[in-house]
Amino acid sequence: MINKNPYVPAPVEITKIIDEVDTHDIKTFRLAFLNKDDEAGFKYLPGQFAELSIYGKGESPIGIASSPTQTGYIEFTVQRAGAVVPGLVTSALHDLDEGAKIGIRGPLGNSWPIEFLEKKNIVVVGGGFAFTTLRSLTNYMLHDDNRKRFGEITVIYGARTPGLLLYKDELAAWEKREDIKSIITVDKGDEAWRGREGFVPNVCKEVAPSPKNSVAVICGPPVMIKFTLPVFFELGFSKENILTSLEMRMKCGVGKCGRCNVGYKYVCSDGPVFSLAELDNLPRDF
Amino acid sequence: MLKKISINKISELVAALMGKGLLLAPVKENSGYNFAEIKNPSQVDLDFHNTIASPKAAFFPHKEDFIKYETGKPIDTASVVALNLPPTFLFGARPCDVKSFEIMDIHFNASGIIDPYWKQRREVTTIFGYAFDLEKPAQPEEFYQTLGIGAADPEGSDVFMVKKGEDLLLDSVTPKGEKIIAELKILNEGKAADKKYYDESIKKGKEYKTRNMCLEPAAITKKLEDLFHNTDFWMGVSSACLSCGICTFVCPTCYCFDICDDTLFGQGTRRRVWDACMFTDFTLEASGHNPRTQVYQRLRQKINHKYSYHVRKYGVISCVGCGRCTKHCPVNIDIYSIIEAAMKA
Repeated sequence: MINKNPYVPAPVEITKIIDEVDTHDIKTFRLAFLNKDDEAGFKYLPGQFAELSIYGKGESPIGIASSPTQTGYIEFTVQRAGAVVPGLVTSALHDLDEGAKIGIRGPLGNSWPIEFLEKKNIVVVGGGFAFTTLRSLTNYMLHDDNRKRFGEITVIYGARTPGLLLYKDELAAWEKREDIKSIITVDKGDEAWRGREGFVPNVCKEVAPSPKNSVAVICGPPVMIKFTLPVFFELGFSKENILTSLEMRMKCGVGKCGRCNVGYKYVCSDGPVFSLAELDNLPRDF
Repeated sequence: MLKKISINKISELVAALMGKGLLLAPVKENSGYNFAEIKNPSQVDLDFHNTIASPKAAFFPHKEDFIKYETGKPIDTASVVALNLPPTFLFGARPCDVKSFEIMDIHFNASGIIDPYWKQRREVTTIFGYAFDLEKPAQPEEFYQTLGIGAADPEGSDVFMVKKGEDLLLDSVTPKGEKIIAELKILNEGKAADKKYYDESIKKGKEYKTRNMCLEPAAITKKLEDLFHNTDFWMGVSSACLSCGICTFVCPTCYCFDICDDTLFGQGTRRRVWDACMFTDFTLEASGHNPRTQVYQRLRQKINHKYSYHVRKYGVISCVGCGRCTKHCPVNIDIYSIIEAAMKA
């Protein structure tokens, strides 16, 4: 991106919209580049994000939900924001139909540290809507070209209700595979739910993944993070081996506009992925 | 290649520069001096101490248009606004302000992503730095000596100017500066005595007294890191703050910006505009979460950004001691006093 104007979005077309949850406020948007050059320039890894851009509304930084092993398109799972602050861009996006054209700037930020994760057992822990870049990582690791680069893969994913689980078809497919241990849980099931019930921290305690040669990758709402981290400390995971992804308000996405800093790190360009050991060296200002 | 010109002929020099491109120079306004685009040579007035706003707008204008579009039209009909910058002359920038450009260069060129607007504006601009009047005392708010900046430091300028009685002495600092003063036929050759005066002025500028304390970047960085969670300290120094943001707008090293869409009657512009970390919605997220709802958290962010985070990230303090934030603060919050208190805390 060095020679390109980093503030100018590339045009993309929405080729598919998937209504993910029964509250209809989270949708996955599949995007295809209109220009071949833009597509070739968009080389990303799981954990990165991009600014989705709608002229007249603005831009929103959203984690990339597809895996780079999926070619020809990129996916973003977007919640319609607005319960507290009007979410101009996300609302406008939710009102669009397949075939509409928007802009995209990216890929931005660092990624899940793939080289660091190689040859290790990976424990993916996600809660609710914060599963998007974890889905990207999981699909990346499960791809035929990549699966042998990683040890055991365990995914622990929870939502409040069955209807709020994202990527339901993929979750079902993972449960059938031998090379991934997939534990899906909901806080409270409904009549049709045959799966597990229980909060993510408790399920982590039950599953008790071994810390030996393992890395935990954890994303979720603050309350889930708060109660899940002590479980992993208890299991013996070091702070270097627990990774998470931060969110802050962003504008430029390239470390220039001065908005998303936590201490001396910009979440957009130095992050969003940090280890707990790294976060320990930053002030609690997020 | 020292040159000189009589100050009463300054408008002729100004006219010559205007013939070569766009000229930004200090102009007297109702409440003080400011840099402005010169339309008439007689506007330029060098009888100023320093300007209200810093000259950063020469490279980082208050508004920078990125993209023009029509609302409702396909995205591929939008057009990127071309810069088409003329050769530009920034005339009369004080040494502390010139230093701020070098600090901002580090940021705008960092992390492998170059800000194209800052870069292009820097490239087309020739800086005529101007020594403070060493015969007059510094203003009480100033403290560039603390940051190791002299009142007559030519570094960072292309041409540097020193006032000698009724004459203005000009010397080139860079090849770009050398070329331009060679082209300005209105200038006379400086004499040996002029050269001696110029060199001595630069030396004297190093000793020029402003508020001064011993400040090691590494020491203040560490001190502020240790103080971060001392809420009493931050509540104390920020208790009068109104979150008006004027400190950031007059500051030569504040670079925070917003990117916004401005639409009217179907015509839209995406642009960046100055923003301020002192505003409560600066970090307000769409979820409603805001890590800095309190005034003390925002002032803490500003002080830490300049004296701790910037040092950790780029190795330099992001302040040049111009004192504008102190001078223009409606409730007399003084960054120098805060740093002094932090060092003693």
